[in-house]
Amino acid sequence: MITLHTFRASLPRRCFTASASIRTYASQTPGNPMLEVFNRKAKHLQKDRAARNVEESRKVDYLKDEVALRLCERLLDIKRDFPNVLDLGANSCNIARALTTPNLDMAAPEGTLTPPLAERISKLTCVDTSRALLHRDKDLPFNQEINIHREVIPDLESLPYQPNTFDAVLSSLSIHWINDLPALLNQVNTMLKPDCPFIAAMFGGDTLFELRGSLQLADLERRGGVSPHVSPLADVRDVGSLLNRAGFKMLTVDVEDIVVEFPDTFALMQDLQSMGENNAIMHREAGPLSRDVLLANEAIYRTMHKDEDAPGIPATFRMIYMIGWKDDKNQPQPLERGSGELNLKDLLGGGDFHKS
Amino acid sequence: MPTKTRPVEKFAKATAQCSVEAAAYGKCVVADYNAVHKDMCAKEFMRLKDCFLVR
Repeated sequence: MITLHTFRASLPRRCFTASASIRTYASQTPGNPMLEVFNRKAKHLQKDRAARNVEESRKVDYLKDEVALRLCERLLDIKRDFPNVLDLGANSCNIARALTTPNLDMAAPEGTLTPPLAERISKLTCVDTSRALLHRDKDLPFNQEINIHREVIPDLESLPYQPNTFDAVLSSLSIHWINDLPALLNQVNTMLKPDCPFIAAMFGGDTLFELRGSLQLADLERRGGVSPHVSPLADVRDVGSLLNRAGFKMLTVDVEDIVVEFPDTFALMQDLQSMGENNAIMHREAGPLSRDVLLANEAIYRTMHKDEDAPGIPATFRMIYMIGWKDDKNQPQPLERGSGELNLKDLLGGGDFHKS
Repeated sequence: MPTKTRPVEKFAKATAQCSVEAAAYGKCVVADYNAVHKDMCAKEFMRLKDCFLVR
């Protein structure tokens, strides 16, 4: 035990050594310092490994196909042709598949046939880092219906394209693995031609909150500490300012929850793995989860989230959809603040909240 | 190898047969989930694990 007295006596000697009082200029960090959140190499391996089991990998495409469809529905609202389109982080080209789907337009009167969006697109370039995943479906019939080019690039965070190249950049369920999202959005903005849209969907904030929470509790109770097993995700509130910072105009950001029911947590985690969407955070624990934690997690997840009469457990996927337009001088501009002449309250026929 | 079951499937099957023990353990943890600490529900967990091991 050190008494206060002895501690005090030794204090002056420790604190005022000659060398410690001089602070010199050491070095400047090169470039823009960047926080590495995700292990890119691990992510690449996970995607490759998942795609090599073709059968299993196709089976778990339900989420990516659904989101790609919903993303492409947003393209229906833009009445123009897109000669040159980029699919950023294409996975297994789910967007190409959605673009070749006919009758995508739900708003069209029943019985009318609408042509697939692919007819408005002359060239689609799909890029991803994983060769196995990108080329997985290259022999399927939808490839004949669209002019599709697959390109494997070493890193999604530095794109090898010239400025003013694309008429639209699409991205579905990929950019949540990007370390430096602001830099990527900047690049996308540069690659786009003026007055062209960037439309993307990514997993956001509350995705898999059930699993995140129950794994934490299981970890705490079994091992006395918490380790990150579910990767962090961007929040909806951040996306708007990120797009703004990258120079996009006329932003639209919206959120959609997709709840999938699984028989048990093992099926959920297995599907995530087959999607190539498993945890890839830096400094994550090596090796698989311990059996004890898995067992505890299953019990806690069921108790917390399973509805009494539901056959399975729910898992929430929160999708953030974003649309941003590259700046152009002929683009419609928002009016100046305070220049409105109509009261929205009168226009919409609303009243005060408390008087319903 | 279509007939080979993955270890995780066996694991899932065995766990499904211990739903009573799992519910007891789950309830114990969730009852006070703001103050979970190590081995808070050790007794319930051992019961769950015993059940799981004999399956």
